[in-house]
Amino acid sequence: MRGMVCLACGILAVWVLGAESTDAQAVPVVRCENCHGERDFFTGGDSTLFVPAEIFSTTAHSGLTCTACHRGFEAGFPHSTESKVVSCQTCHEQEGVDWASSIHAPNATLRGDAPMCVDCHGIHEVFRASDRQSPTYALNVASLCGRCHADPSVIGSYFATADKAQARTAVAQYFETVHGHALTVAGLTVSATCNDCHRAHKVLPADSAESSVNRRNIPQTCGACHEGIVEVYEASAHGAAQQNGSANGTGHSAPVCVDCHSAHGIVRADEPVWHLGVVEECGTCHEELYQTYLETYHGKVTRLGSTLAATCSDCHTPHNMRSADDPSSSVNSAHLVETCGSCHQAANANFVQYRPHADPRQGDRYPVLHWTWLFMTSLLIGVMVFFGIHTVLWVTRLTIDHVRAGKAGTPS
Amino acid sequence: MTTRALNAADRGRGPYLWRFTPLQRTLHAFVIVSFFGLVLTGLPLHFSSAPWAQGLVSGLGGVRAAGLIHRACAIITFGYFFVHLGSLVVLARRSGWKRLLWGPDSMMPQTKDLRDIIQMFKWFLGRGSRPKFERFSYMEKFDYLAVFWGVAIIGFSGLLLWFPELFSRFLPGWAFNVATIVHGDEALLALSFIFTIHFFNVHLRPEKFPIDLVIFTGRATSEYMEEEHPLEHARVAQAGGLEGLVAPAVSRTVYLWSMTLGFASLALGVTIIALVIWALLH
Repeated sequence: MRGMVCLACGILAVWVLGAESTDAQAVPVVRCENCHGERDFFTGGDSTLFVPAEIFSTTAHSGLTCTACHRGFEAGFPHSTESKVVSCQTCHEQEGVDWASSIHAPNATLRGDAPMCVDCHGIHEVFRASDRQSPTYALNVASLCGRCHADPSVIGSYFATADKAQARTAVAQYFETVHGHALTVAGLTVSATCNDCHRAHKVLPADSAESSVNRRNIPQTCGACHEGIVEVYEASAHGAAQQNGSANGTGHSAPVCVDCHSAHGIVRADEPVWHLGVVEECGTCHEELYQTYLETYHGKVTRLGSTLAATCSDCHTPHNMRSADDPSSSVNSAHLVETCGSCHQAANANFVQYRPHADPRQGDRYPVLHWTWLFMTSLLIGVMVFFGIHTVLWVTRLTIDHVRAGKAGTPS
Repeated sequence: MTTRALNAADRGRGPYLWRFTPLQRTLHAFVIVSFFGLVLTGLPLHFSSAPWAQGLVSGLGGVRAAGLIHRACAIITFGYFFVHLGSLVVLARRSGWKRLLWGPDSMMPQTKDLRDIIQMFKWFLGRGSRPKFERFSYMEKFDYLAVFWGVAIIGFSGLLLWFPELFSRFLPGWAFNVATIVHGDEALLALSFIFTIHFFNVHLRPEKFPIDLVIFTGRATSEYMEEEHPLEHARVAQAGGLEGLVAPAVSRTVYLWSMTLGFASLALGVTIIALVIWALLH
């Protein structure tokens, strides 16, 4: 996606250059440099006016003349000293439109602290996003966005409220977790960085329907890289519920990618922290199943840190979870031997009669378990109560005898 | 006031008399060690949400290590169980099954035990004298049979959970659900009973406080035997068997080992009860 944009810009730049070069009014760069290339010329004046041709020559705009951006100075020197607005949008039309509709635009206009083109791309040293020198190069993006999004003064003024807690730690979390690691540690430039999910120009808050990180758009956003998963997800019970917009009894809407994987704190699914974390995540909606799971051996050893025992996704699949009534569900009776067999190799038709979410307190659903539980609990209470009374009476008897013996003057 | 021996079995007059054989003492030591191994590794699983569960498992070397210790102790348990069964067969061959099962020194509950329980409650309430026990009081029989039943029940359900694929060849899968409940609850009963009632009856009640090492040293004074097991003492005396039971005083080494194992077990057991209460209140 990023490559496409760059290529498009490049073509655009070449086209603009071609058009400009045939323009009789164009002022070649060498003529501007006569003055703007001389450091001494601006001594005591505005140092930003000092633009030596060298810094310009290797950039993405190297073929352009100064007046391609600085319009109104085509007549050459002497020229007006009034500053004139440089519009990148003249050439980068779509990017300009996208930025104008982003959350950055109104804040840049109203408060002046949100980024405009040059804040991310630079002024004269504008490089393509595919150029390692560019702040918008994949390896540099998170640091670029972090200039503001990891700055306490910005976080404090834009993201101070509780509902924006995630945004306060986003950049730091990103660097610590799978996408950030892939980029900064492994050098995998295909890994997602800020603009891959939030977009480069049309950056919008998640509550905006148009945002790439809005709940409804998240599967497509993640699916842009994670090919194949989004189709499986969309056909699953979660995907179907998400598309219907239906919510379950707990008021949660169906989960999208970030609900289980988180947005910035994404960890690899083979890491221990994920193993238990995902169970808790599923448990936020599936409360009863979560509780009953934790009552089983699978749940208990997982809670204690085992990564071998089955968690939710081992039986229900990570993305293709479906109701047990669905014939294509991994937990449909037709597939149980296969599903249990992925860990318990010798699983057979008997084996899969195990109830991985049994609740012995529910007598109507699990009568045998219920009576076993009642019997064992009664036995425990019965024995302890009987011998508890036995013990208390024994101590009482000896105490009474001891006191009486003391009163009678008998040495104890 | 005369100094009171720390070990209840050392108190009083008379020569030492043998009460337990070296095999019985050794098996009991194996019971203690394996039971603590099983409890310490099983308890965090049973109470996996308790605040101390994670720390205990980490202290034992992690979930896998805890699982291995649990299974190793299970093997020890099966080992002492079968050695004991073998010793019963030897005993029966020597003195006959009838004597083993229904003799005065049998472990089997008899009508006398029921009478003793009633008599004990009468004594508690000040309406009678203390019952006189034979070789094993009803409390000791209960301890013994509880372990017998416990090893069988917990052991079998544990095997089911250890080898579910094997047992699923002839058992339905919900048997593992049943086994999970039986295994955990029976184990909870066992440890709750042993670390409170057994500890009180054998060690902590005022007559014996703080410890009775007879199961470790194997011997107790004649006076102790007359008080704790008067009927047995009288029966053996009448048969002229006391001479043959006279034992030397315990060696310093055995005494120190017994003290160490005894007090360590008491302390650990009481700690475990505290952990259970903490988990239940949590």
